Amino acid sequence: MLEAISFGDTGWGDEMLMGAFWTVAVSISSILLGLVIGIIFAGFKLSSIKVLNLIAEFYTTIIRGVPELLVIYLLFFGGGGAVMYVAKIFGYYGYIELQPFVIGTLAVGAISGAYSTEVIRGAVNAIPRSQFETGSALGLKGFRLYQKIIFPQVARLALPGIGNVWQITLKDTALISVTGLVEIMRQSRIASGSTHEPFIFYTIAIVLYLIITRVSNIVFDKAETRYSRGFVKRKIT
Amino acid sequence: MKKINLIFISLILAVSSTIAIAGDWSKIRIGTEGAYEPWNFTDSAGNIVGAEIDLANDLCKRMNAECTFVQQDWDGIIPALTQGKYDVIMAGMSVTDERKKTISFSKAYMTEPARFFTLNSSPLSTFSSAKNLNLDDDGSATAGTISSLNNALKGAKLGVTVATIHEDFANTYLDTDLKIYPTQDEMNLDLAAGRIDAMLCDVGTAEAFMGTAGGANVVTFGPNVFGGPLGEGVGAGIRQSDKELKAMFDQAIADAAADGTITKISMQWFGKDLAP
Repeated sequence: MLEAISFGDTGWGDEMLMGAFWTVAVSISSILLGLVIGIIFAGFKLSSIKVLNLIAEFYTTIIRGVPELLVIYLLFFGGGGAVMYVAKIFGYYGYIELQPFVIGTLAVGAISGAYSTEVIRGAVNAIPRSQFETGSALGLKGFRLYQKIIFPQVARLALPGIGNVWQITLKDTALISVTGLVEIMRQSRIASGSTHEPFIFYTIAIVLYLIITRVSNIVFDKAETRYSRGFVKRKIT
Repeated sequence: MKKINLIFISLILAVSSTIAIAGDWSKIRIGTEGAYEPWNFTDSAGNIVGAEIDLANDLCKRMNAECTFVQQDWDGIIPALTQGKYDVIMAGMSVTDERKKTISFSKAYMTEPARFFTLNSSPLSTFSSAKNLNLDDDGSATAGTISSLNNALKGAKLGVTVATIHEDFANTYLDTDLKIYPTQDEMNLDLAAGRIDAMLCDVGTAEAFMGTAGGANVVTFGPNVFGGPLGEGVGAGIRQSDKELKAMFDQAIADAAADGTITKISMQWFGKDLAP
């Protein structure tokens, strides 16, 4: 038991913490990528241009309708194959490895982006039409209108949903262990397969995931409070 | 062309590349799981160790190659080989016909054979025969061992588990009365209770049972059985196109088996001889 949590060459504590670091690193880069995707595709969905609607609809339907593991397999094995195929056209016959971190972030980011798209679209739709009209009446146009009037309100409405997407993203990172990135899940599998102590190491994994979730909940609560200044917290009475 | 390559590669963010020139096997990348003690696993300092790691290092020395290990989750270990993430799989992988459809294998470097088990009170426990029964060997020794087995088992009830390589073997080579079980556990219990006279199964699973109180009276008899329908054992997975590399591994494995290196490594990690 002590070996499972002690640090240095005799224990697994440092390896497990390193795994937690990679889980957090992939989760944060994925959710950021997902938010960028989400903002762009929410714009597509709300656009009056039909083609953009279709592209966004296609993306969210495919990603949300297909198991996450399949998306990761497709990007990891298919992505590498596609890159090498293109390289061959240019006369390069070697093996090109896409870094597990990059491919994992792309895959999980693409998944979280689809959910973020819907959350942001819903939040923008929930903002009263009059806010846009008032903004225009004040002489704000385009980007300035969104920056000053719409975005702060979207943030308030989208944050609870984005908090959900974050939790999904955090757990999806467990699936990218197939790419060879040693995050919490892969590290626990290595440790339990090497020591025949699955119970101890999977329990440590649970604790690590719960710590990350708890800390991120605190951050999201703080953010929600900040963006809800001036609003009364409604409670069902 | 070189210039285009460079432009192309720099276009893709954070792409690392390694050039494998066909036919040059001075550098070999070996893919392993690193989570299958004692075959290949990770120590608490993060090093990959195990029987297959020792063996791979030995084989590479024989092939004058510089070997590096690449860790890959068991899921996706074959696709990563065919795609070129590494050149060889050494991950406790049994050679099976199903896998042979996708990749080729070197000759087996270790086998966990099947054996017969009975109670220590049974007359079968004193049966003696050749150490090994290789079903791929068509010689007279093989036929002799099979017929002496059939003589010893005459009138006995032999247990096997359903739809296994062991059932295939018993159906093909033995004319004893078979009792077929859905699981190893049920077969274990019936052997201990004396409902069957003997059972045929993998050494590892039976030894696990023999270590428990219920299996304390169980003993093994007869030869190590392998080859034929029992498969070839654990081998190195290699891309079907790399015929030259397969030949190099076959040669190195044959040499390592002949001079006792595999036996030595096997005794060190498994406490028994799994040499082919």
